[in-house]
Amino acid sequence: MTNPLFLASNNFLPGPHPRPWPALAVIKRLLCLVLLLVAPLAPAATGAGSDDKQATFFMGRVRYSSNDGNDCGSVGEQLMRLVSRASTIKIQEERRVKLTDAELFETPFLFMNGHNDFVFTEAEMANLRKFFGHGGFFFSSGCCTNPNFPKAWRREFSRLFPNEKVKPIPYDHVIYRSFYTIDRIRCLNEPRDIQLEGLFHEGNLVAVMCEDGLCCAFSADNTCNEGKGVSPEDGQKLALNIAIYALTH
Amino acid sequence: MTSSLIFQFPLGWQVGLPMVVLLAAFAVWRQRRRGISRPRIALLAALRVAALLVLVFLAARPIWFTREPPAAANRPVILLVDRSESMSLEEQGRSRYDQTLLFLRERLLPALKFAHFPVQAFLFDQGVESADGPKLAAAIPKGKRTNLAGAIAQSFSAASQPPLAVVALTDGIVNESDDNARALTELVAAHVPFIGVGFGTDQGVRTLSLRDLEAPAVVPTKTAFRIAAMIEMMNSDELPAFEVVLFRDGQVLQKKTVSAGKGSRTWLESFQVTEEKQGLRNYTVQLLPPQIPSLKCVNLLANTAVHVSDEKELRVLYIQGSLTWDYKFINLALHNDQTIKITGLTRTSKQSVFRQNVESAGELLNGFPTTLEELAPFRVVVLSNLRPADLTPAQQDVLARFCGEMGGGVLMIGGPATFDASWQSSRLEQLLPVVFSANSGVLGLDRPFHLQLTEDALQHPVFQIAEGQAPRETWAALPTFTQYGRVDAAKPGAQVWALHQSDEGPRGRRILMASQRYGAGLSAVITIQNFWRWRLARDAEPQQFDRFWRQLFRFLSEVGRQDVSVHLADQDLRPQMDVQVLIEKQPNPKNLTDTNRKYFVRAEDSEKKVLQEESVELETLHPVNFKFHAEKPGIYTVTVLDINKVPIATKPIEVRDINVEFQNTGRDMETLRQWAAISDGLAVKVEDCPDAGDLVAQIKSKIEQIRLGKQTRRPVGVNAWVLTWVVACLGAEWLLRKAWEVDIQ
Repeated sequence: MTNPLFLASNNFLPGPHPRPWPALAVIKRLLCLVLLLVAPLAPAATGAGSDDKQATFFMGRVRYSSNDGNDCGSVGEQLMRLVSRASTIKIQEERRVKLTDAELFETPFLFMNGHNDFVFTEAEMANLRKFFGHGGFFFSSGCCTNPNFPKAWRREFSRLFPNEKVKPIPYDHVIYRSFYTIDRIRCLNEPRDIQLEGLFHEGNLVAVMCEDGLCCAFSADNTCNEGKGVSPEDGQKLALNIAIYALTH
Repeated sequence: MTSSLIFQFPLGWQVGLPMVVLLAAFAVWRQRRRGISRPRIALLAALRVAALLVLVFLAARPIWFTREPPAAANRPVILLVDRSESMSLEEQGRSRYDQTLLFLRERLLPALKFAHFPVQAFLFDQGVESADGPKLAAAIPKGKRTNLAGAIAQSFSAASQPPLAVVALTDGIVNESDDNARALTELVAAHVPFIGVGFGTDQGVRTLSLRDLEAPAVVPTKTAFRIAAMIEMMNSDELPAFEVVLFRDGQVLQKKTVSAGKGSRTWLESFQVTEEKQGLRNYTVQLLPPQIPSLKCVNLLANTAVHVSDEKELRVLYIQGSLTWDYKFINLALHNDQTIKITGLTRTSKQSVFRQNVESAGELLNGFPTTLEELAPFRVVVLSNLRPADLTPAQQDVLARFCGEMGGGVLMIGGPATFDASWQSSRLEQLLPVVFSANSGVLGLDRPFHLQLTEDALQHPVFQIAEGQAPRETWAALPTFTQYGRVDAAKPGAQVWALHQSDEGPRGRRILMASQRYGAGLSAVITIQNFWRWRLARDAEPQQFDRFWRQLFRFLSEVGRQDVSVHLADQDLRPQMDVQVLIEKQPNPKNLTDTNRKYFVRAEDSEKKVLQEESVELETLHPVNFKFHAEKPGIYTVTVLDINKVPIATKPIEVRDINVEFQNTGRDMETLRQWAAISDGLAVKVEDCPDAGDLVAQIKSKIEQIRLGKQTRRPVGVNAWVLTWVVACLGAEWLLRKAWEVDIQ
């Protein structure tokens, strides 16, 4: 599942690349493999979690209704670690924001997850409408395949804009190819494909939700949702795709 | 010319002269009694009489009266009869020309003959020729244009002496004006009155015309577009349905029926067209008018060319050292603008890049372009979050050539990490409008600040982002930003657009936005980190952010695009004429250093046959004339080529065969009134003079004024010489008497 748009070559310093010695190539490949396996365990190499204000990818962890934003506590850190693997981007640590905070409008990427039902207040709804109208992006995940959160998410996000309801995102959407090319994601515990759902506003995809424990998959290696929903491998790819999509669309 | 002296107060000399004689006699008598010698008496008397005679002369108020000689008996009255096609229009059962002949034969000529005016007749349309009775009767009104001024001027040339008057029998529809000045001079200089008699009706007749054809210049493939024909119908009580046909490259493409309609109106008939293949398409629209004898067709055919191309109008290449939110929000700004396409090229690691919105699988496959050919599809390159190590000197050189030679736009955007001292003395810095700061480190730059636009920016079209609101107010409402890259100063010739509200650099407040011309292109910088915060801010108007970016990209892309412009000279295009165009080299920095002045200009017809090609030398802002002969109606193309025969400017020119005689068919009395007013003449509608005798009487009156000749009256004697003479005579007489001791007490 490699992306044809992603080029693993020294492109900024182009020129004829001499073919390396076969033995050297084998050693290099082995080293790459080791690094790839070790990388998720190591801290982000490019400043993940730093408070560098020149850093780009900062995300807001949403505190909404009665939820204080602590479900799957390491999800923000893990998401940023993922992004740092794919980019030279400098990363700020996550912020905790309420949907009624003024800070919401300084945070272009919001993450929200949970287990339970919730209801947005009118003030939260108004802010969210403006946030989406101004170009903000919202990434959500139900924790541990609990059906209450996705159900509430669909209901609440469908209330935001008249005639713009939450709907499944088909597999031909660019979000499945924004970094990795993802043809399909199989559910671990049921014979079906897992599909993202989203809210489109004025033709732009502004909010994405996965009901099948995506946050558990990419941040907790499915320890809290073992054998269910998205696999950790697919979850990491999907989460990274969503982040890259938000940064580029 | 005859002249005579008359006295307005003859009593003056009738009384004065005897008094002078008496006074002179009395003085002689007195001087003789005193024993003065005779010669002295004679001299004194002569001086006194000379002075008194002058005074008596002036007292009688002398006037010098002159009269120009009456016109010679053989000076003719010139008769100009209009035989242009508009005179063939039928009204009240007769053509205008037939009405003219009837008026001429039965009323005007007998009256002129009765008044003993010799007549010299001419027929005119775009030309003029002498005509006698049979020729006038046999003439068919079918002239394609009307040149009344030319007819007046040429009739003067044909006569050995100026005429008594020029009488024009016409509907006043004039469509040539080149000879106006000459004709006017002739009339005024020779004091010849213009008498205009208007034929036809003021409303005109029923006409149908294809006035214009509208189509987009460039369209993409597989996208519907419209070709609209503007049709005009005049004075029509009821026009039955008729057909309009659209041809593409000579083949019938579509046909539609225009339903019946009433009254004068102008409307659009549209064809919806979709093209599958790229290329240049020539479209022709033709009207198939209904067969009605009284319907006059002005123009039935029009052409237009449409370039079918999938190339977007403007492509922007956005290069990032790493992914930034600016890229996302600028992408959003261009989301609804189909004419600007942004292509992303982002470094995702030291050894890989991420491409987005590339046109083909092979585009930018090797990362940042290393040749001008790879950059050629783009009009603007944006650099964001880049370090010198990200671009080799050769790549920087390509970027400089893209801007300087190809007229591309280069924008560098970012904060402290982008505007870094390590860029100093690089090739990239040379093309940017600012001098990078030598100081490393950007500490203390996270205090919120506002940007302040300069007066230059407030007047600049890029910064006009809100309707009905002053730019100063709009930009003052932007949210605060927190970081920016420090640059030292603007380069000579750069235009500073925005400054930090307070931070002072070595040469004034820190620059946040600036631009400058670089060769044929333009470069600009935005030194603000996270410029996207503007769009996301709670109180922001996203459409203002979007408009700013669209305008900025268009501005950066258009500078230096056209080295040479091709203008059509002010002329009325028609077949069989020499079409004149003006070729002008545009001012831009590239031209200043460009020693090449030699270019080629080529004119081709619609079948790509070269009609004219010549070399020209172009200097900035010194337009050069180029002419080619357009024999037939159709689309002609003028192309300017550089010394290597590479086209650098082109202009399609459509020449239509429009019947201008039927464009406005109503009688134009205003034209006749203007000619009459200038020459002290007369303009009348033919129906206002049922009795030709009255008309001829008026004509005769005007002519008589001329025949009587011009009279002038001028006072005589009241001038310095005469007064000097009087003073001299009296003074001399007084001096002599004093010298001779005569009558001096």
